[in-house]
Amino acid sequence: MPESEILQGTLDLLILKSLALQPLHGMGISRRISQITNGAFDVKAGSLFPALYRMEQAGWLASEWGESETRRRSKFYKLTRAGRGRLQSEAQRWERISLAMASALRAT
Amino acid sequence: MIRALFRTLFRKQQTEQELDDELRSYLELTTAENERRGLSPADAAAQAHRDLGGMEQVKESVRDVRAGVSLEILAQDVRYAIRSLRKNPAFATVAILTLALGIGANTTIFSVVNGVLLKPLPYPDPARLVTLWESHPTWGPFLGVAPANFYDWRAQNSSFDKMAALDPYPDFILTGAGEPRRLAGIAVTADFFPLFGVRMALGRGFQATEDHAVVLSYATWEKYFGARPGIVGSQVRMNDDGYTVVGVLPRDFYLVSKASDFEARARFEVWTNLGLASPPPAWARGYHPLYAFGRLKSGTSIQSAQADLDRIAANLRRLYPDDNKDKTITAFPMEEHAVGNVRTALVTLLAAVAIVLLIACANIANLLLTRAAARRQEMALRSALGASRWRLAQQLLTENGVLALLGATLGLAFTLWSVPALVRHLPADLPRTSEIAVDGRVLAFTTFLALATGILFGLVPPIQSRAARLNARGVASGQSRVRGALTVGQIALALVLLAGAGLMTKSLRALLRVSPGFQTAHILTARFSLPPRYAHGYQFGTGRHREISVFQRDLTDRVRAIPGVESSAFSAYLPLSGTFNDWAFFIEGRPPKPQGVFDLTDYRPVTAGYFETMGIPVIRGRSFTRQDDEDHPLVVMINGAMARKFWGGEDPVGKRLKFGDETWRVIVGIAGDVHHQGLASAPQPEMYVPWGQVPNVEVRPTIVVRSFVDPASLTSALRHAAAAVDPEVPMDQVATMDQLVSGSVSESRFRTALLSAFAVLALFVASIGLYGVMSYLVSQRTREFGIRMAVGATRGSVFAMVLMHAAKLAGIGVAIGLVAAALTGRLIASLLYGVKPLDAATLAGVSILLAAVALLASYIPARRAAHADPMESLRYE
Repeated sequence: MPESEILQGTLDLLILKSLALQPLHGMGISRRISQITNGAFDVKAGSLFPALYRMEQAGWLASEWGESETRRRSKFYKLTRAGRGRLQSEAQRWERISLAMASALRAT
Repeated sequence: MIRALFRTLFRKQQTEQELDDELRSYLELTTAENERRGLSPADAAAQAHRDLGGMEQVKESVRDVRAGVSLEILAQDVRYAIRSLRKNPAFATVAILTLALGIGANTTIFSVVNGVLLKPLPYPDPARLVTLWESHPTWGPFLGVAPANFYDWRAQNSSFDKMAALDPYPDFILTGAGEPRRLAGIAVTADFFPLFGVRMALGRGFQATEDHAVVLSYATWEKYFGARPGIVGSQVRMNDDGYTVVGVLPRDFYLVSKASDFEARARFEVWTNLGLASPPPAWARGYHPLYAFGRLKSGTSIQSAQADLDRIAANLRRLYPDDNKDKTITAFPMEEHAVGNVRTALVTLLAAVAIVLLIACANIANLLLTRAAARRQEMALRSALGASRWRLAQQLLTENGVLALLGATLGLAFTLWSVPALVRHLPADLPRTSEIAVDGRVLAFTTFLALATGILFGLVPPIQSRAARLNARGVASGQSRVRGALTVGQIALALVLLAGAGLMTKSLRALLRVSPGFQTAHILTARFSLPPRYAHGYQFGTGRHREISVFQRDLTDRVRAIPGVESSAFSAYLPLSGTFNDWAFFIEGRPPKPQGVFDLTDYRPVTAGYFETMGIPVIRGRSFTRQDDEDHPLVVMINGAMARKFWGGEDPVGKRLKFGDETWRVIVGIAGDVHHQGLASAPQPEMYVPWGQVPNVEVRPTIVVRSFVDPASLTSALRHAAAAVDPEVPMDQVATMDQLVSGSVSESRFRTALLSAFAVLALFVASIGLYGVMSYLVSQRTREFGIRMAVGATRGSVFAMVLMHAAKLAGIGVAIGLVAAALTGRLIASLLYGVKPLDAATLAGVSILLAAVALLASYIPARRAAHADPMESLRYE
């Protein structure tokens, strides 16, 4: 799916979801999103980093510098408590929307 | 907190660096992954770059988000701040009003300082303007300039683009435009207007040798000539003579000057041309009526100009030893000259009002501490939800910023009202008051104050929270220590202000207690301007003053016939009026002095009855009578100071002296000393001469009228009497002697009043601060007091305990304040009269006052502590 079609809310939710299991650096988040959506979403750096910055300011993410798997210095993002709460409420909202959309589309 | 502030400064740079690092690591990781997938290193890197989509574009979009987020956060914080202030209206009102008062008062005083001291002079390139003076080792550095000397300075210097001189004396009587009016006149050389860069509103300035030409001030043109556009070229009638109007000055032009020179707010109404004969006659080196100005050549320093002038002065000393013996020339920046003697007073006021603001800030810091304690839970919750320390500090700063801005806005509104009100009440001898306005610089100052105060009181709670963290015993002791320090500081600052105000008040009272040497009550004064025909036929030293004498005698007789009038007489130079004249004299029988050396003393033409009317005692001999006129032997009176200086133990009555006119005058009496030059200056040697016998002509007689009734009520009767004698003689400068005396101390009175007002304000704000701190302390320790009382402490002992605590704070504050007052007292020594900067009585008095107010402020909290119900207290919390 072309990147431009990712809605902002969707990207936020995907980032929150990708960080649910463990802290990741920027490229890790990008790869993880690609993996959990079966390659449907390919998040480019130009969208990813602004979103990360915005979400950190909102208090959902926290970051710290660490070493990547290839021993390079990288910035790792993790969910804050507020971020976890956000993930839960956003996921529920998204499920309601997608159910509603699905039933709307199935209706004749 | 300091660290957080430090971080803001470097934050931007640091975030940029981190973003760069992060993107580079992203690139490297992608490249490494591509290599693992089997691409060549070069292809892998190229692929990674393509994937990233341009380093700069990514950075740019992050920056966009960052800017948007910052603005959004600011808006959010401001909204939050306003909401939280509205939730706590009592706190918000007290804090904003305190700030408004503090910032408003500071901005007001700064407006005055800005207009008088800081603004450049209202002329082009003002830094190059200097005043020029003749100087003498014993007579002082700022003496009037002889026309012939000025002529030589101008011709011989190589440092000045232009040099100009003015004679502020010649007044004019305007006739043919309604009632006769005296117009304040000034004569200037042709270079004067070009030197000050004046662009005439109409017409032109003077040409070098022009005679009977006049330039009108804008106000004169409007007031007396109906702002007629065709005025240039027309004739006006002044001093029974015709003058051609050649120009009208621009509306805002005026000559910045100092009160002791002519008038601080000199508004000369008509300007005439001061033509200097070329070459100047010899006598033009022997009198010194001129004020001189120079415009330095571009790039020439005042030091090198001074060296140039020193060379000219040496030359003149050599060529004209009679008139220029020991004379030097002084060049002094015009800006400093005009305001030199008011600088200390204004800076003192600015410092005082800044102290008031500091004390007010301490109060707000105290209020914030109380709020911080109440909001600890809120902050803890937000911190737990992931808000960083920085983020919380940022929000608190925004709250304080909103507070400070609201305070500053209200303060500015106060300033807009108070500045014009204050300008109306400024003492007449303060220069440049017309330039006082709320301008861009004043607004910048207010903004700075708002930011500085916001940060200042905003710093306290975080510092306190650090102190509290370090203190294992808990919050209360850390809090009370910071509060205690704030209170001590407030009391110390208040004491410094009170001490300053006390000294000034004592000084003013000492000044007002000075007996001026005459009876001030029940005297009306008014000045007359006699047209030139009164002096027609007058020649130097001939004693032909008959027309003037007749006018004076007629008017005196008519005035004495007015019901309520006791007596009246004339003087040319009233005490405390700033007008004077001096004359060289020689005493009979004394060895001749070398050339160029002579005794010089003030002299005052007066008419018969002057001493009786003024209430000046005659110590020896007699005073003048109507017989001391043009037809009788020449007589003179001297004052006590002159008798002591020139005759010592001898009796001067009956001795003779002469002026330059070779006729001996007998000393017939000695008058009491009068403080002519101001209450603060010691009386100088002076002599009095009967008006009919003065060697020069004096056409500006001032009448003094002693009455049994309110002297001001006689004004119209006096005016009628004068019109009956000669309707063409203008009368103005009507004032009672009490008003003149009061006016002569107006500057001292003004700064004393303002400083006292600030000191009272400081005392009030500091006592509110102490009350707040003690109340808080009592509320915190209610439980402890309950326990104490439960185990047997009396109400009295609890009461005493609280008071002792307050007394300790006040004591430390007073001690620190006394040291500070002793250190700062020296700085205002030049403003004091009759009192030392370290006046024990004043310092003791203000200490006791402050201690009493401090105890009063803690009385209610202490009572509350003592009347706490032990059971209630124990149930507290």
